[in-house]
Amino acid sequence: MTLPLSRLTGADTYFEDFPAGRRLRHARGATIDEVENNYLSKAVDNTAQAHWNEHAVRGGPLGSGRVVFGLITGSMVVGLASQDTAENALAEVGLDKLRFVSPVHHGDTLYAYSEVLEARDAPDREDAGLVTFKHWGVTHEGRVVFEGERTVLLKKRSHWAER
Amino acid sequence: MADFDPAQFTPVKRGNQYQDFAVGQVWQHHWGRTITEGDNVIFSTATCNWNPMHLNAEYARAHGHPSPVVNPMLVLCTVVGMSVEDLSEGGGPFLGVNQCTFHQPVYAGDTITARSTVEEMRTSASRPDSGIITWHTEAHNQRGELVLDYRRTNLVAMRKG
Repeated sequence: MTLPLSRLTGADTYFEDFPAGRRLRHARGATIDEVENNYLSKAVDNTAQAHWNEHAVRGGPLGSGRVVFGLITGSMVVGLASQDTAENALAEVGLDKLRFVSPVHHGDTLYAYSEVLEARDAPDREDAGLVTFKHWGVTHEGRVVFEGERTVLLKKRSHWAER
Repeated sequence: MADFDPAQFTPVKRGNQYQDFAVGQVWQHHWGRTITEGDNVIFSTATCNWNPMHLNAEYARAHGHPSPVVNPMLVLCTVVGMSVEDLSEGGGPFLGVNQCTFHQPVYAGDTITARSTVEEMRTSASRPDSGIITWHTEAHNQRGELVLDYRRTNLVAMRKG
């Protein structure tokens, strides 16, 4: 590539920028609607029609209207957090303790919050480290709908900032 | 031809209920899925995940990948999606996912299949109409390599009678 790699991503999202305890409220929210839930649930082969059949869930136990697939909520929270937490990631390593604590419906807007739980060296390489975040997904009404932990392998500024 | 009468048609049932599961039982899920570049671009952009590792081929190549790395959240959603008819379409909310590990990258054109093993089942005194089941789900690519695995827990409706 003609541009240096480091010019394509932020300068403040390297491993060194994530001491344990750092908390971020991410800049943007996103409204969940036809594309985000109805389409993506079908696009990932999720056959549970409560996610995409308005008629089937009328007056259902989780509130009126299509229920957002929990992992679409989770993916949106990870997405909203991604620029601030993974722009300089080499890899997404894993997830843990994902909880879908309250139903989300079409028209709800999600915001994402993150806290650094742990930052540690990677066992097999010097140029990157592992950071574990806890993420929260919160609606426009301030209702927590999602919680989960996520570990990413982040570039170290010391090795990557000049590349 | 007689008038249309829906009562003359047999309803097709989909999904399983608590009594259909047993600890140790393995479910090989249907369909399999080739993940395309289009899937990755639509999913990543629609979920505000504009990471160049997922959306910039030159950037991904500069990090040693042959093409953009498919957003792992898309792989996870697809694997769960393929397992829904067997595991959770019978009714009951999705409670959680634990210990999800992305073992290796997926690239556009890779084909993913999934299977789940029943790990744990229990009934709840407070909710006699359902039970709680945990499955261990594993997803493999077309070369038989483990791509991801996780544990998923759902409330599962109990068949009455």
